[in-house]
Amino acid sequence: MRIRRLMAGTAAVMTALAGALGAGAVWAQEKLGQPTDKSLGLQPGAAPLKHDAIWFHDVILLPIITVIVLFVLALLIWIVLRYNKRANPKPASFSHNTAIEILWTVIPVLILVFIAFFSFSLLRKYNDMPTPDVVVKATGYQWYWAYDYPELGVEGVESRLLPEARELKTSDRKTKPFLLAVDNELIVPVNKVVQVQVTGYDVIHSFALPAFGLKTDAIPGRLNSTWFKAEKPGIYYGQCSELCGVDHAYMPIAIRVVSEKEFDAYIIKAGGKTKAMIAAEEAAAAAAAQQAAANAAASADASATASAAAPAEADAAASAAAPAVQ
Amino acid sequence: MSNDAVKHDYHIINPSPWPLLGSLFSVVMFIGLVIWMKGLFGIEKTPVVFAGGLLGVLYVMWGWWADVIKESRAGDHTPVVQIGLRYGMIMFIASEVMFFVAWFWVFFEMALFHEHRAGVASAIEEVRTAWASAGSTDPNGWMPAGVEAVSAWQLPLLNTLLLLLSGTTVTWAHHALQEGDRNGAKWGLFLTVILGAIFTSVQAFEYYHIVHHHLFFNEEAANAGLYGSAFFMATGFHGFHVLIGTIFLLICLIRLMRGGFTPQKHFGFEAAAWYWHFVDVVWLFLFAFIYVIFGA
Amino acid sequence: MASNASVVHDHHHDDHDHKPGFFARWFLSTNHKDIGTLYLIFAIFAGLLGGALSGLIRWELYEPGLQVFVQGSLLDQLNVFEGKHGYNSVVTAHAVLMIFFMVMPAMIGGFGNWFVPIMIGAPDMAFPRLNNISFWLLVASFILLMVSIFVPGGPGGASEHGFGGGWTMYPPMSANKGSPGAAFDLIIFSFHLSGASSILGAINFITTIFNMRAPGMTLHRMPLFAWSVLVTAFLLLLSLPVFAGAITMLLTDRNFGTAFFDPAGGGDPVMYQHLFWFFGHPEVYILILPGFGIISHVVSTFSKKPVFGYLAMAYAMVAIGFVGFIVWAHHMYTVGMGFNLRAYFVMATMVIAVPTGVKIFSWIATMWGGSLDFKVPMLWAIGFIFLFTVGGVTGVVLSNAGIDYSLHDTYYVVAHFHYVLSLGAVFAIFCGFYYWYEKMFGIKYNELLGQIHFWLMFVGVNVIFFPQHFLGLQGMPRRYVDYPEGFAYWNKISTIGYVITAIGVVVFLIMILESVIRRRKAEANPWGEGATTLEWTLSSPPPYHQFSELPVIKDEDGHH
Ligand code: HEA
Ligand code: HEA
Ligand code: CUA
Ligand SMILES: [Cu+2]
Repeated sequence: MRIRRLMAGTAAVMTALAGALGAGAVWAQEKLGQPTDKSLGLQPGAAPLKHDAIWFHDVILLPIITVIVLFVLALLIWIVLRYNKRANPKPASFSHNTAIEILWTVIPVLILVFIAFFSFSLLRKYNDMPTPDVVVKATGYQWYWAYDYPELGVEGVESRLLPEARELKTSDRKTKPFLLAVDNELIVPVNKVVQVQVTGYDVIHSFALPAFGLKTDAIPGRLNSTWFKAEKPGIYYGQCSELCGVDHAYMPIAIRVVSEKEFDAYIIKAGGKTKAMIAAEEAAAAAAAQQAAANAAASADASATASAAAPAEADAAASAAAPAVQ
Repeated sequence: MSNDAVKHDYHIINPSPWPLLGSLFSVVMFIGLVIWMKGLFGIEKTPVVFAGGLLGVLYVMWGWWADVIKESRAGDHTPVVQIGLRYGMIMFIASEVMFFVAWFWVFFEMALFHEHRAGVASAIEEVRTAWASAGSTDPNGWMPAGVEAVSAWQLPLLNTLLLLLSGTTVTWAHHALQEGDRNGAKWGLFLTVILGAIFTSVQAFEYYHIVHHHLFFNEEAANAGLYGSAFFMATGFHGFHVLIGTIFLLICLIRLMRGGFTPQKHFGFEAAAWYWHFVDVVWLFLFAFIYVIFGA
Repeated sequence: MASNASVVHDHHHDDHDHKPGFFARWFLSTNHKDIGTLYLIFAIFAGLLGGALSGLIRWELYEPGLQVFVQGSLLDQLNVFEGKHGYNSVVTAHAVLMIFFMVMPAMIGGFGNWFVPIMIGAPDMAFPRLNNISFWLLVASFILLMVSIFVPGGPGGASEHGFGGGWTMYPPMSANKGSPGAAFDLIIFSFHLSGASSILGAINFITTIFNMRAPGMTLHRMPLFAWSVLVTAFLLLLSLPVFAGAITMLLTDRNFGTAFFDPAGGGDPVMYQHLFWFFGHPEVYILILPGFGIISHVVSTFSKKPVFGYLAMAYAMVAIGFVGFIVWAHHMYTVGMGFNLRAYFVMATMVIAVPTGVKIFSWIATMWGGSLDFKVPMLWAIGFIFLFTVGGVTGVVLSNAGIDYSLHDTYYVVAHFHYVLSLGAVFAIFCGFYYWYEKMFGIKYNELLGQIHFWLMFVGVNVIFFPQHFLGLQGMPRRYVDYPEGFAYWNKISTIGYVITAIGVVVFLIMILESVIRRRKAEANPWGEGATTLEWTLSSPPPYHQFSELPVIKDEDGHH
């Protein structure tokens, strides 16, 4: 009887709590790519890894720990009500019960094995990077980030907090959020696998981007690596996540996700070459070599015109996309 | 503080000035060390403050242990108290073992995972090439380029033999003491101290050799710094422990000469011997790993 | 436990107790109870200081924008903790004060010193003089820490006083690159001294417990608090030297040109993190295990029931201590370890939840069927059990590397460890303090003030730290002097919680003051039949030297 009442009570409390949590999510309209005031949960994801992490946290971990905490709480409340000295003046004297001791050892083990199952699969996903489409290298400096696209020939794009975003007064929630907005964002194409190689120049920093579920330490002397695949164009903010000195709070990470076309334009504008261009050049070079080996003049002319055409096209795209990349 | 009403054999100690003084001098010593290294509060770099603190600390050690010996003579070290002293010494040595774990950990990380360093994990070009060229000087495929390792079978082997021999002489002294052969004990102890001193001298000579010929720290390799650091830290701290052990044994010898210790009761000596064996074992590990297995 | 043991004979020959004069008694002490009292006073002092510093932290974080650590502020004019560097120094000093100068001295030095000898039926500690230097070395260590606050630390030289690299002191932030000033050299020596103090203390406790148990007091009859201190002492003995080694390497890297953690010389900053956490993780169990011991006693006393599953309780602590040594890299999931290593540390870390669960459930089973008396210590104990569970399960969340990528170095971690520390360890300390107050000081505290203190703290700390989970999930990084507006709301709530907590701490001081002024005479055993360990057989306060004739322990019901 009592037990049933207790269980009913627990269930009621849990429903209420679940409701409250759900309501919380509605209460605060979650922004994508930056923190939302008053919100209760993980920042919404914009990349597969983060979706999996959110699922693992919200569906597996949070319910389990909530139930454990509520279970302990319920037991304590029950004890307080039932076994206080007025309700139960004569204490029992037992101090052993092998069956229940085995239970409370085995059940947690099972719960943990259950958690570990999902935990390892998430870890695997983080670990197994698909073949990257774009490689960027992020280097942490005191106190800014510098980005390279080693394969595309773009180097040393320095990304600093905008002076306006340093002060609450001059910042702007929409366009220049306080402590987040930077001068040069890291530009990446949408729906492509981006590998980020991370290192530190002076002290340890950490490359973190909540919306993509990333956090990788930028350690001097080490080259770490992580990856993401952004699902939607837009701007996503993160912050340096390893204590690195006085301006640790002032070296945000901003990633601007753009269409592939805009990305190519950006790369060219920055003085690099797109993958297509590199491929074309390589093909041309290979073809040229082949042709040259086979027979001389006429065919070599043709390939020269073909490779000259590509940059011209890309230039046009770059000027069209220019406002988007500031 | 024996009292008629006290019906147990534990040692209740009277108030003592040494702890307070000891920590006072420690503060002076460490602040002095910072002054010596960096200068502080506008004081220029000088070893004076440090030296003052150190002298104070040594004075406290002297006074404290003199008290312990006095109490022992007064019969306060009952059998149960002696067991306590043994536990204390064993635990102290256990903590010292863990201290050496730190140095060995660094050394093994370097020696076992150097390929990782040479791989993509390193962001520094010079370090990567330095580690990648590891193995060019050594068939084990590991000795960092630019490092000319000390051969295990010369001075280090001599030192190993010296320490092993000193292990036997200290055991000889112990047996002699137990059997009441005080002369034998003195000789055993004397030889142990001498062997310890020779070990330290040989080690000092080896250091001189390494530094003089730039065996570790040179222009050739970016990672020679780590190798040299790990080498000197591990062998250096061991050498420091040899020194402490030698002094410990020397003091036992002096006590023995002045009529201290009996065949039944000589824990001070035993503690010194344990410590010496510990120092000995640490050396065997250093010899095996740093000089032989991961050496030249 | 030895609860049902009977003490065969009386031991009240306190008449021959001549105490030394004031100076000799308090400065040259070789008496475990006096040294314990010194430790407790020291801990309260450090707790107030550390609590005040956390006030500066919360004040700064009350709203976005710089409030406290900014040019022209009061701190700036005082030349202490000035500027944004000052914030980092405050956070560092706060953590070091709370961990090394408040929790450890209170639990091990304070309660351990006071009650381990008494509980095992010994007249004092094994090495009373060593005991005293453990205390004074801690004071020495504290002095070095305090000096460091006023000494140039950061690269900014004279405008950046104190060390601002966090209590974990990762290089290169703690190398010449990040902190060239003398402040960090002082901190290193401060840690050397407090480490020596703790190692000597650990040797003392282990020897005392192994060698000085009264006749009949077998290890399996020994009270759980003594067990908890025994396990803690082993953790200290085996983990601190590795830490000492790590900071010594930092010292030589800084001053003597070695390259242990300097990548340019072939070294690796991550190596330091391994060494640090090999100590750092056992350290967090050092902070909580004595608390586990205290809670067991209080729960049993106020339920009027023997501890449920005594042996399982003792060996759960041994298991926690043992596993605690092989999980350290769960603090380092983001440094770039291989998959297998990370997977191993995930699994090993989660394992600790099992013995900890055994403890939680055994406390509950101890209360089950009991006749509970909600005196102040019991309130703290029940509060502890609940809040520690909350902190523990968030630890299990963090142990999963996959989710730790989102939570590492965010306020979720801050919330986790304050739940186990500020709401776990601190609750256990207050629990023990009220439980043994009469026993130690010979006066009674005021029950009402104690209850008010509990409720204010209980509400206050939850309001501080529960919202920090939300901040962490949203991604607010820790060690931030300022934050984007998206984190404003919960930070404000958190600071309001601090105000409530601070009022609670003031009530705590009033409670002490009131009891000292009123001087209500203490009883030998105010708690009645539930209080069965040896300290309750002595007068309150106990004679200057107890057990001049050793008690003999007979296990009456022999159920262990
Ligand atoms: C008293 C101190 C204390 C204690 C006891 C713990 C206990 C635990 N801690 Fe915590 N921890 C800290 C102090 C402590 N921690 C500190 C100070 C830091 C931050 C350091 C820094 O970076 O500055 C930290 C950080 C920290 C991290 C790193 C986070 C990060 O930086 O990213 C992790 C990750 O695994 C972790 C895990 C755990 C776990 C699994 C436990 C477990 O021991 C908890 C076990 C308890 C329970 C689980 C609850 C009771 C059990 C039950 C009711 C049974 C049923 C439960 C289940 C089946 C789940 N802790
Ligand atoms: C035991 C450890 C402990 C305790 C008790 C506390 C207590 C508190 N802490 Fe702290 N804290 C840490 C350990 C602790 N903390 C650590 C390790 C860090 C990480 C540092 C780093 O990043 O390097 C940290 C960091 C930290 C931060 C994050 C800073 C940042 O990352 O930027 C914040 C922010 O709110 C904070 C706040 C508080 C507050 C408001 C309290 C309040 O609860 C304070 C209220 C006061 C008390 C609860 C003390 C009362 C106790 C006594 C008066 C003694 C009684 C003694 C006897 C009875 C014998 N702490
Ligand atoms: Cu860069 Cu923190
Ligand atoms: Cu840990």
